[in-house]
Amino acid sequence: MITVRLPELLRDGRGEVVTMMATSLGEVIARLGLDNDERDELFNFAVNGDLVLHGEKQVVLNPGDEVEIVVAFSGG
Amino acid sequence: MSAVPIHARIDRLMRRLASEPQFPTQGQTIFVDLDRQEIRRAYIPRRVVETFLGGRGVNMYLLHNLFDPSLEPLHADIPLIFGTGILTSLVPSASRGNVTSWSPESGVLLDSNAGDYFPSFMKLNGVDHLVLYGKARKWTLLHIEDDEVKFVDAAPWVGMDNLDLRAAIARDFHGVEGKDYGLAAIATSGENLALCSGIMAGPKAIYARGGPGAKMGSLRLKAVVIQGRSADLTPFRPHKTRNRDVAQKLLSASVIKNAMKVRGTPFLYKPSRMLGAMGTKNNQETTWTDKLDAENIDPFRPGMEGCFACPVNCRPLNDMTGCEHTPQDQYVKGDGPEYVTVGKFGPNIGISEVTQVLRLNNICNDLGLDTASTGSAIAWAMELMQRSIITSEQTGGLDVRWGNYEVIERLLFMTAEREGFGNVIADSSRAADKGHYPPEALDYLMAVKGLTQSDPHDARILKAFALGLAVSTRGMDHLRNRVTLEINAKINDDPDFKRELYGGDVSAEPNSYGGKEIAVRRCENIYAVGDSVGMCRFTTKLFNSPTLPGYEEFVDQVANITGIELSLAQIDGIGLNIMGVERMINAQLGVGRKDDTLPKRWFEEAIGVGPYKGEKIDRNEFDQMLTRFYEISNLTADGVPRPEWRAELESVLTS
Ligand code: SF4
Repeated sequence: MITVRLPELLRDGRGEVVTMMATSLGEVIARLGLDNDERDELFNFAVNGDLVLHGEKQVVLNPGDEVEIVVAFSGG
Repeated sequence: MSAVPIHARIDRLMRRLASEPQFPTQGQTIFVDLDRQEIRRAYIPRRVVETFLGGRGVNMYLLHNLFDPSLEPLHADIPLIFGTGILTSLVPSASRGNVTSWSPESGVLLDSNAGDYFPSFMKLNGVDHLVLYGKARKWTLLHIEDDEVKFVDAAPWVGMDNLDLRAAIARDFHGVEGKDYGLAAIATSGENLALCSGIMAGPKAIYARGGPGAKMGSLRLKAVVIQGRSADLTPFRPHKTRNRDVAQKLLSASVIKNAMKVRGTPFLYKPSRMLGAMGTKNNQETTWTDKLDAENIDPFRPGMEGCFACPVNCRPLNDMTGCEHTPQDQYVKGDGPEYVTVGKFGPNIGISEVTQVLRLNNICNDLGLDTASTGSAIAWAMELMQRSIITSEQTGGLDVRWGNYEVIERLLFMTAEREGFGNVIADSSRAADKGHYPPEALDYLMAVKGLTQSDPHDARILKAFALGLAVSTRGMDHLRNRVTLEINAKINDDPDFKRELYGGDVSAEPNSYGGKEIAVRRCENIYAVGDSVGMCRFTTKLFNSPTLPGYEEFVDQVANITGIELSLAQIDGIGLNIMGVERMINAQLGVGRKDDTLPKRWFEEAIGVGPYKGEKIDRNEFDQMLTRFYEISNLTADGVPRPEWRAELESVLTS
């Protein structure tokens, strides 16, 4: 089981934390309905506190992993 | 002695300027001799506009013509130049302008951008550039209204800081800032020539970097008030629909809609912290508490503010009224903070309480201190103290230790007054050169070309960020060329899109050196163009999103507002021209390849935490990346424009 911590924007009536079965970050992204073609994508993912900056969908997840969704911008 | 006095330089330049506007909406360039209280007016020739546009670009043209490297930055013959973008006040989010000079802080080019209302009021009153020189015989306020420039005795306002000054000006000039007038002014830090002082363009908006406050103070100019809206800004062709399109584009970008408009730039703290790239304790460490994440500022944010005619409103306000952890005085509320201030007055100096960061932010805004330079100078002092390179003997007994809030707060006031150890902090990155610290202190100075790092992000991981900081013409500053989207995994994972975005192959891996020069080149060009049209960096394509307004919108709007038609390639070339002339100015000061580098620490010490633990900058790889950057930038091996291009630029600059 993977724990996913959602930002306010993605909660849609769900709690701050949801759990799901997934073996990769790609699966988590698809299940959250975030897998679209929009280029101006807002979110990055962190696995067990480490931010993923590339190869996102291929990141392998293991039971007990915690995924956090973080706003992906750094220009201020 | 100046080889050619400023008056002679201006005479020479005036002969080459135009006496009539070169396009509809073009404003005057006003030359103000503060010593003799004389005014001269002219217009920038069309060929110069076609080469450098306006704002920062034309400021560089003016500085290049009026510059005398045999003087010192605070000499009265070195001008302080305000410029407004060619689209400022006329296009949504084009609210910005630049101030340009020779930096007393870094010793290289000074160029700093601000928004709020002052640049727009310049434009609304038909003033595109304001060239100030000569030391006023007494403190002066420059009042511009209905095309008339008045030298007003500033005695009633001298000694005032930003809060009191803005209230007094509103009372004395019978108006409301932003509605009736725009104001650019210095606080006591500028009067006292603190090198980390800025020029306040609003309650928080500041021309911050490079010590412009000290430069303005050295001319004994307390403030510039531009009142009314006297200019005829009828564009060449109507542009209302186009403005609607720009506004729509701005507001539909996900990052603007969901982040900038909601919490503003403090959102950035968290990704940098989680990446292990949050400069902490003068970059000795790279992560810090989650207590400073943007959502923890929510309880103290009563709303958001914005600049002139900008629909984004990205600037958070703060209010700690009723909070038992903070004194209930004039600093209980204010404007900000931005991410830079959260980083520089949080992890960088060991502070972890939100209310303390907010209060320090409010105090800096009042004292007119650049939070980037001031926070960096304090962090540097703290590391020197930690390493016993300085002792309490130098600090006058102050316990300058990480997180010592009371001392930090006190030090800000002492800095503005240049009192005690505040005099050392006021000398900012120059403290060792001025003999306050021993030479070994320079090993711990986080600066490039004499300017301390503007933002808190530690760039040992993201090599494009690192290259940008190294080659930035004004010193270690992320707003000149940051390839911000390197942090976006979706873009990194889409090679075709990334290629299209930057015009070449840029490695997907943020910590690789491959092709990063291509992305930096593209960003440096578009941001320079953005500064010349007056567009906010936050809303310029590539800075935070690939879908924000960029060249397509700029050429369209420039054609509509001025009648000057530019192709996409031409406008990109203007960005390159601006970088070229900036490098030519710096070259006169001996700046070259040796200065396009990074702090020693980033080459020698590895990141100690996070997914990129062990990462640092490899000197050899960096050097090769720099060489490739010069090659694609049409620069010589020493980082100046190649002879043929240089000759072309010189023909525009001097003919
Ligand atoms: S985006 Fe923010 S900082 Fe930029 S012009 Fe708009 S309100 Fe000002």
